Amino acid sequence: MDVSFQNLVLGFATVFTPANLLYSLLGCLIGTMVGVLPGVGPLAGISMLLPTTFGLNATSAIILLAGIYYGAMYGGSTTSILMRIPGEAASVMTCIDGYAMARKGRAGPALAIAAIGSYAAGTLSVVGLMFLAPPLAKFALGFGPPEYCSLLVCGLVVLSYMTGGSIVKNLSMIALGLMIGIIGIDQMSGYFRFSYGLVALGDGVGVVPVAVGLFGISEILATAGAPDRREVIKPRFRDLLPSKRELKDSVGPISRGTILGFLIGIIPGSAHIISTFVSYAMERRMSKHPERFGEGAIEGVAGPEAANNAASEGALVPLLALGVPTGPITAVLLAALMVHGISPGPLFIKEQPAVFWGLIASMYLGNLVLLLLNLPLVSIFVNLLRVPYRILYPAILMFCVVGVYAVNSSMVDVGIMGVMGILGYLLRKMDFETAPLVLGVVLEPIIEYSFRQTLAMSDGAYSIFVLRPISAVFLVVALVMVLLGLKPLIKKTKDWRERLTEAERGA
Amino acid sequence: MRAKRVLLLAIAAVCIGTLGLFAGTAPAADSYPNRPIQVIVPFPPGGVADLVGRPFAAALEKLLNQPVVIVNKTGAGGAVGHQAQAVAKPDGYTLMVALSSISFNPEVDSLFGRPFAYKLSDFAPIALLSSDPTVLVVKTGSPWKTLADFVADAKKRSGEIKYSSSGVYGTLHVAMEMFAHDAGIKLRHIATGGGGPAMVALLGGHVDASLGGPNVCIPQIKAGAIRPLANWGDKRLTALPDIPTFKELGYKNTEFYIWSGFFAPAATPPPVLKVLREAAAKAVQTPEFKGAMEKMETPISYLDAPEFQKFWDNDAARSFKAIRAIGKVQ
Repeated sequence: MDVSFQNLVLGFATVFTPANLLYSLLGCLIGTMVGVLPGVGPLAGISMLLPTTFGLNATSAIILLAGIYYGAMYGGSTTSILMRIPGEAASVMTCIDGYAMARKGRAGPALAIAAIGSYAAGTLSVVGLMFLAPPLAKFALGFGPPEYCSLLVCGLVVLSYMTGGSIVKNLSMIALGLMIGIIGIDQMSGYFRFSYGLVALGDGVGVVPVAVGLFGISEILATAGAPDRREVIKPRFRDLLPSKRELKDSVGPISRGTILGFLIGIIPGSAHIISTFVSYAMERRMSKHPERFGEGAIEGVAGPEAANNAASEGALVPLLALGVPTGPITAVLLAALMVHGISPGPLFIKEQPAVFWGLIASMYLGNLVLLLLNLPLVSIFVNLLRVPYRILYPAILMFCVVGVYAVNSSMVDVGIMGVMGILGYLLRKMDFETAPLVLGVVLEPIIEYSFRQTLAMSDGAYSIFVLRPISAVFLVVALVMVLLGLKPLIKKTKDWRERLTEAERGA
Repeated sequence: MRAKRVLLLAIAAVCIGTLGLFAGTAPAADSYPNRPIQVIVPFPPGGVADLVGRPFAAALEKLLNQPVVIVNKTGAGGAVGHQAQAVAKPDGYTLMVALSSISFNPEVDSLFGRPFAYKLSDFAPIALLSSDPTVLVVKTGSPWKTLADFVADAKKRSGEIKYSSSGVYGTLHVAMEMFAHDAGIKLRHIATGGGGPAMVALLGGHVDASLGGPNVCIPQIKAGAIRPLANWGDKRLTALPDIPTFKELGYKNTEFYIWSGFFAPAATPPPVLKVLREAAAKAVQTPEFKGAMEKMETPISYLDAPEFQKFWDNDAARSFKAIRAIGKVQ
């Protein structure tokens, strides 16, 4: 692609018209709100606003909708950090360490780092999108079912490091998640599985109701059940900003999260939420103090928050470079272009330079606006914690119900959220981590179908996994990591988990 | 003080006036429509049904002088929305814009021996809005230049040529198997999560062939990424004048369209249906609706209720046959 100064000027000239500027700001603002409201994620937000863009021109429409899309990734972290309620599905991982930080009175720094990480990742991803879209899109197309399946196997090996606590408990949570993920129409044969006659369960159990239920509703229940009134921590201004050390600790996770998120984002059919799981697991694996994770490690906020922003922009690569949507959100963006008479294809960038470069320029601007919007909001949001629980929590509960209902106009989803809330509450009482359960629900359909599609392609021959080069590389990496994990068996060195248990025993 | 009293009086007058207005309209309940109408779209926003349904609803709104609201009731490949319409109160206030796939569920349900989510006789067709034939496409670098090459190779390597579809018993699966049955060939089916992912699988070279509606295929054909071989319609597409139809090439039973239609529950009173038929006939003629469809490169193919019923009967019969030919997927 021709990344010339001229094109960028064209882009900025397109954005800096009063109307487009307004739509860009409006998109970022709505996106932040969509992200903050639990249940309503970027998909629901964009879908609901799609019809209102029919009256605009194509450039304004795509600038507005894209603003909602990447803006939601900024807002999603807010409620995760303050209340352990994921504002949208991709902020589940932020709940763990972000909320732990808030409990220690470090909500301000957590929110600030989330915003800064999102900004860095968002801006770097636009650079990637601008320079590398066409070659990356070709690479992304090389990912068929076998590659995807091997990638996930490799990812699962990394993910075994995801959370602390008992491995048996974590594995049983993943297994439960996988079982819940099986519910729904089997995409390969059309059978209804475990739907008990409910047509609405045909599409399976959605990630949004599960995540909001397991984290949000269970938190509300747990707070209501807690005998002592939790102390409201009054933050001083100094405590709103991250310390030098926290900033320094975040640089690595943000840059790794950005690259990881962008690469996972461009792969067809992947979900942003996976990039956050992998980023969290990777930071924990690389950390010198993995035991700090779960207790309020800034790396556990910085990495995943950067990853989900980068992934959301990475997903635009196949859409813009080839005109093919690879997920539900990009499909809605594609529709937004189609109603304006633009059918994006491989020639999109060449034939519609104003739309493409306008979008790129709007994303540079939008990310900056979001940073400027979110940093001052930190102090306001932190003060939300002063609102008495008897007012705050019923309001949040209402938002959860409305948000989850709005996604599919489905009461069944609200029911799922309720059941998951009670389940989440019980699991917390028994010291189970709920993040692996969400992971299981997310991964089950993807792993299962990519595995079965692969075997359908090869007519049942397993050799296809090693005969395709990209797939083989992932399997080799996974094997190496398993072997590294076995090293302590041969060479007697203590794993951090053992060190942790010993330290706990000593204390 | 005085001003305040005047203001209060004015407010009271307005209130009473509005009450009177409501009272005035209440007795005329038999004149349909006198309250907002809901139109179910069984697919998410941005899908074909949604993109056709919204400008259509906007046109109806002006003709019926009542708000016409689109509700996306999604799930189970459209079955959730179809079922909601089938059991809706047949008063003309809950209507639906659905696609060709509405015909598939009952046949698939009977194939699996499960209770019907709905039956085709639950619906009264009002108008056909659009119908687009699907197009068979292969990668540009593939050895098949014509449909004859493709069929000959498929006969030689039975069950080895792979194609991607929008999902099992989905529109693209049914269309392709209809052709395979007609040609007496066996292809290997790779189900994906939708029309977009099916095209991605072909572009990435993970399958050998695929199919899709013109608005999905034509941008890729123009860019030289894929090559069209034939279309499922009864005449050639204006955008692809050199590409023959299956019928021309001798596959008489291969005909398939991704169509969208406007439906009411079957028990809707005839006077209400008459109002809706007349409104639909006018709506498709409005410049707004025409403009919206033109931009999406989806030609309007309007049929009034009786002709639409005939069209639908034939279309459903062809689809049923194809689904029975597919049988239970193992």
